[in-house]
Amino acid sequence: MSNESDRQESFNELANAYGADLYRYAMWICGNDALAKDLIQETYLRAWKALDKLQDRGAAKSWLITILRREYARTFERKVPKFTDVDSVVVPEESELEPDDRVELDLLRQGIQTLAPKYREPLLMQVVLGYSCEEISRELGVSKSAVMTQLFRAREQLKEKLQKDGVTGNVHGLF
Amino acid sequence: MSMDFSEFKRLLGADPRSRDPELLRARASSPEFEQAAADAERFEGLLARAVKLPVPEQLIDEIRSTPQQASTRASERRWWPMAMAAGLLIAIGAAGLTWRMNPSWDSVEDYVSDHYRHDGAALLAKADGRVANEVQTLLAEFNVEALPDLAAIVGVIKYCPTPDGKGVHMVLNSENGPVTVIYMPDTPVTDHMQFTFDGREALLVELKSGSAAIIGSSAQQISNLYALIQGSIVPAPGAT
Repeated sequence: MSNESDRQESFNELANAYGADLYRYAMWICGNDALAKDLIQETYLRAWKALDKLQDRGAAKSWLITILRREYARTFERKVPKFTDVDSVVVPEESELEPDDRVELDLLRQGIQTLAPKYREPLLMQVVLGYSCEEISRELGVSKSAVMTQLFRAREQLKEKLQKDGVTGNVHGLF
Repeated sequence: MSMDFSEFKRLLGADPRSRDPELLRARASSPEFEQAAADAERFEGLLARAVKLPVPEQLIDEIRSTPQQASTRASERRWWPMAMAAGLLIAIGAAGLTWRMNPSWDSVEDYVSDHYRHDGAALLAKADGRVANEVQTLLAEFNVEALPDLAAIVGVIKYCPTPDGKGVHMVLNSENGPVTVIYMPDTPVTDHMQFTFDGREALLVELKSGSAAIIGSSAQQISNLYALIQGSIVPAPGAT
């Protein structure tokens, strides 16, 4: 970086481009708003300190996710958060949805939280972060074939939950 | 060789948005495949909507201010060695790590001191504004409100972890300088209990709903804020 203002500008671009998705991802993996914000703060703090090492701007998203996952493993893996904010999240646009549609979304959110990490994490990488199967494979260090199986099973489990919990009106065609 | 239906569904379940030519050809090959793909697309729409949690309005601004926070932390680190013995520094470092490694505190006093070591100083440094509207918004989540005398002097406010779930971390711009208050909606405390850590003083306050810890220096006479905190964080109208 040529000077501090260029460095700050590059950092701001990372914040603008990836901050929201990283926060959502953090919320899903730690289930708690305060902890998710802490995780994001630590991730970007480490990114700021190591910004000069980021040579390929196209790899920025993957770089940030790797930092975030390491930070999560380092700080949170030994504990289970005592409460979850995902259950109580209020999405303003959803107030206009039909009750059945809201139930579907709530059930899906519950389902995602109860997925085993080996299914939940690749699914979130794909749906929240827009990762391809190859990118997930690289990030998680498992084969593409294994990733595809995990993604398939994750979706199957979520569909089963919707079916089992009685939401059939709008999603009968899914099964 | 054409793809069979179970393989088609497996690939679809792994990556419903795939534009793989073989998958697209299979989709067009029969109504059964086409229907499965349409169902998968609908499910994917639901899933995308379910994971799109709202993002706090201030988040990006907070991220963008990270370099300044890093600078604050660095300057704190330069200052501490002049003020503290090396042994105390090690203790603080260990406690800072503990904050993240293990949120299960043995006591409210442990929690308060760990919490303050984590980001107390950084937030004190940011408390130069007035955030009365945010105060009510954040506290409303716990069915409490801040009366005007208190709300008017809050300089910074954010959610924070507490021993029993989410709480609120505030910095008050008091007459004696910035003072930290941590609101704990579900944590019982011994009212009026005082303790010290790292040269700071803390005072626990039992509220009508929840509890609070006031943290400041001995010069700030935080006991004078007891009545303000005790009387000004009250159940919101209509709260049960």
